[in-house]
Formats: sequence, C-alpha cells, structure tokens
Amino acid sequence: MKTPRLSPQTLRVLERFIERPTAWRYGYELSRETGLKSGTLYPILMRLAKYSLLETKWVTTEDGVPPRHTYRLTPNGVELVRATFANSRAALKVRRPAFSGGRA
Amino acid sequence: MIPVEFPRRLATLLLRFAIWIAPYDTHDWGHGMLSELNHVEGNWSALLWSLGGAGVLAKHAMLAVILPGSHRRTVSSASELFSKEIPMRKPALAVIASCVAVSLLLFLAPVFRQAFRVSLAQWHDVFHVKQSFGYPSPDLELDALVKKAEQNQDAEALAFVAVRYPNATERTRLANEAVQLDPNLTWLYAVTGTAYLSPSEIDRRVSLLKQWDPQNALPHLIAAQRIGAAVAYSKEFPLGKLEERPAWEKEMDAAFQSPKLDNYLDRQKQLDHRVLSRYRLGDPFQAVSGEDWYGFPNYGVGECSLYAQSLLESGKSLESRGDRKAAFEKYWVVARFGQMMGDGAGFTFVMRKDIKEAYARLGALSQMEGNNGAAAFYAALADQFDKAADKQRLLLRNRFQGSDVSHWNAFLVRLSGLLVLSCAVLLLLCALGIVVRSRSLRLSSLRPSRLTLTLGFGAAVGSLLSSAVLFVSYWPYSELLQRFLSKGDDAGLFELSAFLRDIQLPLGSQFNLGPVSWYVASWSVVFYFWFAVTILCALAILIAVVRHFQTRPRASVPA
Repeated sequence: MKTPRLSPQTLRVLERFIERPTAWRYGYELSRETGLKSGTLYPILMRLAKYSLLETKWVTTEDGVPPRHTYRLTPNGVELVRATFANSRAALKVRRPAFSGGRA
Repeated sequence: MIPVEFPRRLATLLLRFAIWIAPYDTHDWGHGMLSELNHVEGNWSALLWSLGGAGVLAKHAMLAVILPGSHRRTVSSASELFSKEIPMRKPALAVIASCVAVSLLLFLAPVFRQAFRVSLAQWHDVFHVKQSFGYPSPDLELDALVKKAEQNQDAEALAFVAVRYPNATERTRLANEAVQLDPNLTWLYAVTGTAYLSPSEIDRRVSLLKQWDPQNALPHLIAAQRIGAAVAYSKEFPLGKLEERPAWEKEMDAAFQSPKLDNYLDRQKQLDHRVLSRYRLGDPFQAVSGEDWYGFPNYGVGECSLYAQSLLESGKSLESRGDRKAAFEKYWVVARFGQMMGDGAGFTFVMRKDIKEAYARLGALSQMEGNNGAAAFYAALADQFDKAADKQRLLLRNRFQGSDVSHWNAFLVRLSGLLVLSCAVLLLLCALGIVVRSRSLRLSSLRPSRLTLTLGFGAAVGSLLSSAVLFVSYWPYSELLQRFLSKGDDAGLFELSAFLRDIQLPLGSQFNLGPVSWYVASWSVVFYFWFAVTILCALAILIAVVRHFQTRPRASVPA
C-alpha cells in the first residue's frame, strides 16, 4: 500500500483521528485541536483522502444550516496510523535505556 | 469604519470565487471549507480561514493548468457556454470583449498612440534598440527626414537633423550641407558640438563662426576648449598649465573682452519649431533635444573659471605693486564676463566664487580711492549676482532633476505601458490556450476553462484600466508638446524633457519621489530581465515536457 509522507503536522492530525477512530470529525474542529490553519490542514486531509486513508461525508446538522463536510479514517488509515504509532513507541522503548542512563 | 460583518462576507466571496476557479475534483473540499466558515468564531478569523482555503484551491487550479489529469470540468458546447446554469460565463465574455474593444479604440486617438510609443522607450536599453554596444544606431525617422530635406534642398531641416543625428560623420556632413545651403545657419556649428571632429575641422568652423558673429565670445571659447583638449591629451596635463599657453590665453582673453555671449539656443528652438511644424513631426523625443543640459553647449566652462582666477591673481599682483588702475581693469573684466554669462549661457554658478571675489576687490579698490558710492554699488552688484546665481542654480537643478510630478507621471506611464503589454500578452496566451485545447477555431467548439476565463477577464480589465492610466498620465505632456508645435511656446519643454529622460529608464532602475527613492543601474535591470526570461522559458519547456509525458496515450499491456 502506498502511503503519504508523514510530516509532523500530518502526525498531529492523525493523532486526533486515532483518539476516536470511528467518529466523524469537522474541519474547523480539527483545525482548533491541532492548531493548524486551514491552508495547512486541508492539503493534509486531501492527501490522506487521495491515498484512501480518509473518507469524507456530508452531514446535515440542523435546519437552516448548510451541511458540513466530515472526515474519518478508513480501516486502512486506522491500520497505518496504529502501525506508525506502534513503531514510534517501539523505537522510543529501544532508545530509552540509552537516554535514561541506567536509572530506568 | 468597516462594517462588522464585512470580513465574513469578504471571506465567503473569496472562497466562492476560489471554488469557481478550482478544478472539479476539489469542489467538495472547497464547499467543505465554505460550510465550516459558518462555524468559525470571529469575523476576522473567518477571513483568515477563507484566505488559507482559497490559497489551497488556487494552488490546485494552477497545478491543473500545468499538469493535466485533474479532471477539470470545461464548457463542452456552445449551448453550455451561454447557458443559464453558468451565469458567469456570458457576462465575463461580454466584459472581456468590451474591454478589448475599448482598449483598441483608444489607439485611434493620436495622443494615446504617442503615449504608448513613449512608454515603449523603457525597452530601448533592454533590446538595444537605440544603442548597440555603446554606439547609437541609425534613426529611421531622421533618415526619412534627411531624404525629404535633401530632395527639397531644405537647409533648416538638414540643420534640425544635424543636431540630432547619432552618427558623428553624418552629423558633420549634414551640418556642412545646411550651412552651405544657407550661410545664416552658421551658428549650427556651435550647437552641433565638437565631439569626434578633427582639430582642422574645429578650426575651420571656429573661423567661420568668428566671421559670422564677431561680437560673440562663443567661437573663442570653442577654440580655447580645443586647445585645452589638446593639452589634456599631451604631456602638459593637468590643465593647471593651460594659462602658460599663449594661444589658449589669447582666445580666452578675446572671449572675456567680447561684448556678448550667445549660445544660440533661442535660434535652435525657433528652427526646431519651424521644422517640426513644416514636416508635421510629433515625436516628443525630437522636440526636446538638448534641454537637459546646462544651457548646452557649455564650451570652456571649467576653463573660464581657470582664466578668471589667473586674471584675479594678476590683478592682486598689480595691486600689490601699486598699479590700482590696471588691477581694477582686470577685476572688472572678470565681473563683466560673469554678468554676461548670467544673461546668455546660464551657468554662472560655476564661476560664482571668482565673480564674487572680483566684485569684492572692485569694492575694496573703490573704497581705497575714497569712492564710497562706487563701493556700495559694487557690493549691491555682488549681492544681486549672488541671488541671481542661487536662483539660476536652483532652476537648473530643477530642470536637470525634474519635478516630483514628472517623476511620478513617468513612473505611471512606464508602469501602465508595461501593464498594457503584459495584459495583451496574457490575453493572447489565453486565446491561444483555448484554441490549442479545443483544436478548433470554431466558436461553438471552444472550451475555456474557468481559470482561463478568469485570467482572460483579469487581463482584459487590466488592459483597459492601464490604458486609461497611460492616457491620463501622458496627457499633460502631450499638451506641452502641442503648445510648442503650434505656438512655439517652449516654456514647458524643460518639464517635458525631464519626463522623457525618466521614461527611457527601465522600470525599477530608478525611483525618486520625495522620501521614497532607490537606484539600480540600468544594465542590472536589463540583466535581471533577461535572467527572468531565461528561467521562465526553461520552466515553460519543463511544463511542456511534463504535460507531453502525462497526456501521451499509453500502450495497453496484453494480459
């Protein structure tokens, strides 16, 4: 499976998605939680969707308010994120003794 | 006061426009950003949200132009082109057509044609139109005028060209021919200058000028300058030793004793007016030849000061020996020549110190003789001269540097001329792009993308606006030129000259308007221009190659 380049900003977005993998998230909500501006956030979302790691859906929230575009990780996306974060944790565990100086 | 809701409204408009130009496959994302706008807290935050989103969509729109395959939706037929479902297209095309038509109609006005032509002068350095490796190229208009003048045996027209012709040999020939046809034009020898002439030719001209106008100091100054130039190229350099040369001293003495100093600029202006009117020439660059110099020709300006100092030294020496009368005469010659320069040639500020000293010595001598009235008179003359020199220096500086108004107008004319050209090129590229994409010239089969339509719209409106600015900015200078051509009124020629001097500089090389000023050498701007052109060409080739490989049909692999 082809995967996009995972920049620190992309990891920040993925971190938010993995907290509640089944929940649909709004763009503005993600922007506030990650602190990313729309000009940074949307290219990331578009790239994730291009690689089929993200699915999109239009939802109607209340009467008179236009429908909102929502986003959620696909099963592939969840798998990739879990693998990525698991690898990161493993790497950290391997490194820890060297950094902890034997105190661990 | 900005209405509170204004930033949010602007944000909505901006995003809607960005969605309009964005490729079809990004529309969902664009609408997603737009729907989120309703939930962004704060009006200014909404604008920032919209700016970021619009930037993303604009980037995709640009990429869709460079790299095909973004599935841009285009107008598929003429019926859709003018259909009600896409209301922007029909008005946009109508506006583009109207703007282009009005811009083209402006070219029917002679003033606008002249303004456009003048705005092109900034490209002369870039394309080496008027100069090639430092040598002036022949001027087609002047060549045509020479032919007419020679056919008509028109001495004045030949004189007109002789002052302006870039080639020195041809200039000499034309001047000689004009004077031969009409000896009353002998003054032309003083106006055409002595650059590139052989010493014998200068001597011949000086001799003719002396015969034609024996009262004038100018021929003597030309002769003195030739001797000075000869000294400058000989071992006797520096010029400090000039006063030891009897021939130079003789000419300077004759110049200082002459009853008048006429640089013939008035005659030249009258002749210019007659020739320009006779041949209906409307080129402003031809009308203003020579205004930007200090009352050009300024023969022997430095040498006049040198000679005046030698006279003052000589006067002081005579004074110390008790010969007050002879000393008085020496000082008086300097003071009188200073007055004469102020009246005729207009560069008194060069000799200001010497002339003031001459008046001071004259006053001191009068006081020694007990003639207090004469002393007061010389003091008053010195004061008057000082004020006149101040005024003249300021006037010349303004003439040379130009006013803020002329700088600003020249900047506007250059900028608007550049924009007219850029918009025309962009419009042509858009039209070419549509034809190439549609592979047809039939209107019904043309399929402009939204981005192409937007670019075309912007270029058409930009072309109209810049044409209007060009017209308005140049109008006053056209009036100044017309006043000279129709009435011979040359009062505005200095302003026109300063304006045209700025016009010839490539845009970005110089700007001088009050506190805002910068200077970049013209050749640097020319270098940057060609560097940018090279980079853009390389990019265009790269995009063409990428597009070729992306759009070529791929052979299917048999299973």
